[in-house]
Amino acid sequence: MKLALQNILHDRGRFSMTVFGVCFAVFLMVFQGSLLAGFLQAASKLIDASDSDIWITARGVQAFEFGTTLESRVREMAAGVPGVTETSRVCMAFAVYRTPIGKQQVVALVGADPTVGNRFPVPDRHESADQLSPDAVLYDVSDRKQMEVDTLPAEVEINRHRANIEREIQGYGAFLGVPFLFTSYRNAIRYMGFGSDQAMYILLRVDKAYPVSQVQQSLKQRLPEVDVLTRDEFAHKARMYWTIKTGAGGAILTAAVLGFLIGLVVVSQTIYANTMENIEEYATLKALGASQTFVARIVLTQALICGVVGSVLGLLAVVPSITYAKSLIPWISAPWWLPCAMVVPSLAMCSLASIVSVRSALTVEPGRVFRA
Amino acid sequence: MPNHFLRVEGASVSFGHDEARVHALRDVSLSFKPGTLSLVMGPSGSGKTTLLSLLGCLLSPDKGSVFVDGVAVNGLSEAERTAVRQQKISFVFQAFRLFHSLSALDNVALGLEIRDPAASRRTEVARDLLLQFGLGDKLHQEPKALSPGEKQRVAIARALAGNPPILLADEPTASLDAEAGRNICQILRSQVDEHGRTVVVVSHDPRWEKFADRIVTLCDGCVEEEVGVL
Repeated sequence: MKLALQNILHDRGRFSMTVFGVCFAVFLMVFQGSLLAGFLQAASKLIDASDSDIWITARGVQAFEFGTTLESRVREMAAGVPGVTETSRVCMAFAVYRTPIGKQQVVALVGADPTVGNRFPVPDRHESADQLSPDAVLYDVSDRKQMEVDTLPAEVEINRHRANIEREIQGYGAFLGVPFLFTSYRNAIRYMGFGSDQAMYILLRVDKAYPVSQVQQSLKQRLPEVDVLTRDEFAHKARMYWTIKTGAGGAILTAAVLGFLIGLVVVSQTIYANTMENIEEYATLKALGASQTFVARIVLTQALICGVVGSVLGLLAVVPSITYAKSLIPWISAPWWLPCAMVVPSLAMCSLASIVSVRSALTVEPGRVFRA
Repeated sequence: MPNHFLRVEGASVSFGHDEARVHALRDVSLSFKPGTLSLVMGPSGSGKTTLLSLLGCLLSPDKGSVFVDGVAVNGLSEAERTAVRQQKISFVFQAFRLFHSLSALDNVALGLEIRDPAASRRTEVARDLLLQFGLGDKLHQEPKALSPGEKQRVAIARALAGNPPILLADEPTASLDAEAGRNICQILRSQVDEHGRTVVVVSHDPRWEKFADRIVTLCDGCVEEEVGVL
């Protein structure tokens, strides 16, 4: 297969162009894949962070950010269903935040009971909760600039109520373009002006002795006016809403597919041009007795060499780019397997791109070798 | 060397259709014994190259048969004819047809790889062949750095890699000066005398006449004259 390697190295300009095509495609696929993975995670992050088995929401709520208040009797009725061991209240509303230097901006305020789950970012559940005041408010480190907080703790106002920002957390950055602020349920309803026991979501833990589906069924029968979803169902619903119904996921996926297609076109064009330039050599190979497999292997090897080199360069370029992008898009996420997984479509892309070229090399008439 | 006999029997080949039909060969019967160098001559369009294509299993006759080592190759599939070429037939071309991106050594090694994929020490065998043809100082040169005579010697070394019993040469001296041409004639003659190969040379070059055992003259697709031993 030395011929395959030497042929592509002999025409460095074309080789560079092919590698650039693959590199571009891999870069775009990994970057867009990271955006999509991050978007999917962020779309259901707060739902996934709870330890609950079941979420009760108002009828038709599509995502955590669009909840509406439930009647307080819902919690009492849910608590009475056999198998329910614990209920937690979660509320979320947009609020006006006044920075320490007096500027105003809109924030998404989330409040939850401490029983909501260890990963849910509320002060009462924080690992050093004992050091936080009852009014403690938390925000994500990626929103520091918008919060305009220089030192902690900082005294701010939320909906004209005094509040103390006491800690930065990580991994719960702005998803809607509006920073999240997290506090206890008790504080949240005060800032939002809700009545006591008013909540947008009731989260339930189910006794291990009871099947979750059975408890869910009982709840649906008892509370027909609300939606009763398992945590996974609600998380899935939220992800589908943000990615499919809003079209955002489609846009990201389209860009990734476009990257693949552009790479495919560039690679197929350059490999085809290379094959046609050397078509007489393929005729010679066939005249000398080279099998179809031998000839096809040369073209395919050329494509795969370009694929491997382009993929490595693409990955080398995309990793720092994603790291940098994290400072601008906090929810972007590149799981370790994503770059590795993208090598597969990039090699498939190169193989696909070489099909026309392989066909040309295979169908060339060996008898043309006698033409001077 | 086994008795590799190359034979065409009543072979006719035509190209094109209806009024545009050209009869390249008309009912040609010829045999080529092992250990002989046959020279095929004739004016342009007389069917020399078509005959070489038939003998090299690159073309099937419309009528008649082609036998290589007793096997009728015109009844074989494309893959089977490729296998016959791989095992028994090699070519030398007027335009050399070396692989431009490979060195002389790699060109010859590739010839061996095609002919015998399992062969070990391909590079050593290729080096020995090139040394035989006085190209020891050109092993790592690409074709563009070689003179026409050197290119043709590399092409012959590539054709001989894997030791094929039949060598078909199409105008092998047409692009060469007098000295280089004579050198190529001597090399191909030595393949007959020393290795008993069947060599068929198609050429207009009269220099070949004194190296050939037999001269076949074609005209308008027919055998016009045969001179020499059969």
